[in-house]
Amino acid sequence: MTEWSRWATSTVALVSLAGPAYAVEYLTIAQAQKLAFPAATRFVEAETGRLWKAQAGDRAIGVFIFDRVIGKHLYIDYAVALDPNGRVHRVEILQYRESYGGEVKDQAWLSQFVGKTGGSPLEVGKDIRNISGATLSSHHVTQGVKRILAVYGNRLR
Amino acid sequence: MEIGCDSVRRARPLLGTLVEISIGEPVHADLENAIEAAFEVIARVHRLMSFHEGESDVSRLNRLARLGPIPIDPSTFRVLETALELHVHSNKRFDITVAPVLQLMRLLPGLSDPAALAGDAAGAIELLPGYHVRFRDPRILIDLGGLAKGFAVDRAVQVLQDHGIRRGLVNAGGDLAGFGPDPHTIHIRDPRDPRRLICRIDVRNEAVASSGRRFDPFHSASTSFAAIIDPSTNAPVRTVVGATVRAPSCMLADALTKVVMIQGESAGPLLARYHASALTVTADDVMRMTPDWQGAACLAP
Repeated sequence: MTEWSRWATSTVALVSLAGPAYAVEYLTIAQAQKLAFPAATRFVEAETGRLWKAQAGDRAIGVFIFDRVIGKHLYIDYAVALDPNGRVHRVEILQYRESYGGEVKDQAWLSQFVGKTGGSPLEVGKDIRNISGATLSSHHVTQGVKRILAVYGNRLR
Repeated sequence: MEIGCDSVRRARPLLGTLVEISIGEPVHADLENAIEAAFEVIARVHRLMSFHEGESDVSRLNRLARLGPIPIDPSTFRVLETALELHVHSNKRFDITVAPVLQLMRLLPGLSDPAALAGDAAGAIELLPGYHVRFRDPRILIDLGGLAKGFAVDRAVQVLQDHGIRRGLVNAGGDLAGFGPDPHTIHIRDPRDPRRLICRIDVRNEAVASSGRRFDPFHSASTSFAAIIDPSTNAPVRTVVGATVRAPSCMLADALTKVVMIQGESAGPLLARYHASALTVTADDVMRMTPDWQGAACLAP
């Protein structure tokens, strides 16, 4: 069997250097509202920045709730659309932000990367889009959806 | 996202993580329908194969398959077929019956019967015609968590392609597959510290999956032990702290990361068999790559 290539990586160097921070905006609130309720003719803001009633003409077709879960290093903006019976119609992530407060353009950090096959230089920052690695938990979003259902779901039923 | 933008990205909480679908095409009428259908197929795989949902195929099998043949969905059957094939070719290192160990470690809910740890379980799973399954050994419990997420990604890619989408990427919390003529740039987290990246690769019509210590950014940036169990010792793996596998399908990539976590370099022949390549980081801070690990810019010594 052909040997695996190997080299030592220093964790000491890593600890003193910054990691990337990045954000992804998937949808604005208005875009998410339209996607959740394509038939709606208007969205009536019932709680400022938080809850909108979706209406098709005079008919109520559901509610749209904006929420944010905040953790130590991570913010997720998401929206829950409920149907008129208070059931979850759709959950959509609006914005995802990983903020480690790192200095993204740290050249010392970047220079640790070597092009094994001579690819384009590494561009950290907004370029970082697809990450494979330790899995992010969606636990807090799931908890948030449950909270929203407890608060608003019953009102609709 | 807006009209005039040349790509669309959406994300939803599914499979216990954030699942993101990116399409490298301008918004058009059928695109939202295609994305909706892709998210729906992922949710369906979750409903069928979750250990946690009482009416999933997995839960029904765990309750009833010891009593007689149980009919399941063809897609669950297909995942079981792949799992058992990998079990054979990995010298039993890939094992979907370590659920009782995970229960003992409280990584899965439920009480574990210590007797269940003893059997050679995968040999006791009988795949029968007409998508029926029976357990010969009444003690076993299965958990498809080792490859169902990858399968869900593959299904989503297929649904997008069936809708005429030509370029895109489905990323289920780091298990991902890209398709289309253009390469996708993927960054790989440092398994020792998830705030950092150790490698950047370009993938084209290929899947990537990673395993490592669990990462919960809400509680701590530091990592805890790996949720991978070595069936030969019934203990969590310790030597390899993180593994990333590139493979033709995400189901294979997902499953093979578990074998690489357990076997390290001796997983080489198995990787070659499935046209896969791998990168690992071990507890002694050594990074290893298979000779065919392509197109990477990785952290230097």
